[in-house]
Amino acid sequence: MGLRKTLHPEPLREVVDRDHARDQRGLTGQLRSGDVAQRRWAARDLAGCPDAAATLGEQLLAERDASVREALFTSLTTIADESAAAALLPLLRSEDAQLRNGAIEALAAMPRAVGPRIAALLRDSDPDVRIFTVNLLGDLRHPQVADWLVQVLLQDVAVNAVAAAIEVLAEVGAPDHIPALRSARVRFDHDPFIGFAVDIAIDRIEAP
Amino acid sequence: MKAAAVSPKAAITDADFMKFRDFFYRKTGIHFDESKRYFVDKRLVERIEATGAGDFRAYFIALRFDTKGAELQELVNAMTVNETYFFREAYQFDCMVNDMLDEVARRKRPGERIRIWSIPSSTGEEPYSIAIYLLERWPQIDRYDVEILSSDIDTTVLQAAQQGVYSARSVGNLPKPYLEKYFKKRSEHEYVISRDLVSAVEFSLVNLSDPADTRRFRDIDIIFCRNLLIYFDDLSRRVAAEAMYDALTPGGFVCLGHSESMSRITSLFTVRRFADAMVHQKPLTGERP
Repeated sequence: MGLRKTLHPEPLREVVDRDHARDQRGLTGQLRSGDVAQRRWAARDLAGCPDAAATLGEQLLAERDASVREALFTSLTTIADESAAAALLPLLRSEDAQLRNGAIEALAAMPRAVGPRIAALLRDSDPDVRIFTVNLLGDLRHPQVADWLVQVLLQDVAVNAVAAAIEVLAEVGAPDHIPALRSARVRFDHDPFIGFAVDIAIDRIEAP
Repeated sequence: MKAAAVSPKAAITDADFMKFRDFFYRKTGIHFDESKRYFVDKRLVERIEATGAGDFRAYFIALRFDTKGAELQELVNAMTVNETYFFREAYQFDCMVNDMLDEVARRKRPGERIRIWSIPSSTGEEPYSIAIYLLERWPQIDRYDVEILSSDIDTTVLQAAQQGVYSARSVGNLPKPYLEKYFKKRSEHEYVISRDLVSAVEFSLVNLSDPADTRRFRDIDIIFCRNLLIYFDDLSRRVAAEAMYDALTPGGFVCLGHSESMSRITSLFTVRRFADAMVHQKPLTGERP
């Protein structure tokens, strides 16, 4: 026993033939396997199939194992096209916080695919969806983020959506966003928290 | 605290520093306190000048909305010091021989294989440190068949690792008896590692963020992946974490660098606090992370 000596410096072991087909059809079938490890590998390998986003999104709704969910989110983040965004957006309405947060994190990593969807999300009739969209904007690397946040400050009627937007603007805001912040304070002058949050945001933006 | 002495236009104010520090921590897990102010300011100013941003505000906005993350990567490279040496961050090796290996061994029968993966291998200081620790400080070494694997994306460093020639600075942290036992002094400033140790580590070329490369790594009991993920973008970090998860046996451990945290990358792992170090563990079958 002790330290094992290597006999050759080449890679440890060759990849052997996989037990199951690795094409999209085969992998889609394996997503429904009873074996967690098999579902995880199928989810991971589907990252290499650009047409698999809808399948991955559907599986997220059915999957209960947290480790498989992680692999599904990672693969959708890898695909990162419009179909991946379309597969993730319905999860913003999920009651399951893990699914919702996973979707926000994944969507934030695909600014090009998500950008065209933001305006509609900020008009959604469900205030929770609008709040989650603002949360998403906090991590989205997109040049229009500040404009979208200003839109929330000026138009959104949900105080929690506005509060979330103020929090993000405190970090990314510039002096030309201060009028919108003041406007939000006027619209919600009955809410002391909004006044407090606006003051902090303006202080941070104006800090020398 | 005063800002670094730079051109007035590019000077970093206290507020700039705080804003940057919070952002950089969120993105990389690396926290800079006030004592690092000069270090941070100097590199920030260099990046502001290199990008032509003009001032901090313009640079920070460009950094934050850089969709490719290329500038963040430049900044990470500038803010991290890439150096390695024997017995670096040795508290995790202490944790390995004092706790992790014993726990792994309890799940195995004597004579069974224990597999340790060190990535990135760089020029070999880490995998060889692991080998020395096992031989010198793990009493059960003769009861198990221990395999050390080590990988890197860079073929040059892999070749250097297998040559095993080190500077005096690189071996400066080694206790003298170990230096004398496992190295031969070749010149005033050069030490050559024992061929026995070289043959005890299996080196391979691997890109941790490429599933095709990592697929063949299975049944690993302990992974050392220190100060590598800070160089990755968010997606590559997630892919790497997925790869490590699938490479590990249930209950296997991951050691990251002191400034890195798995919980900011994925919820796949649980945190284990041992006397010497905090590490990340793949849950045993049936446990939830």
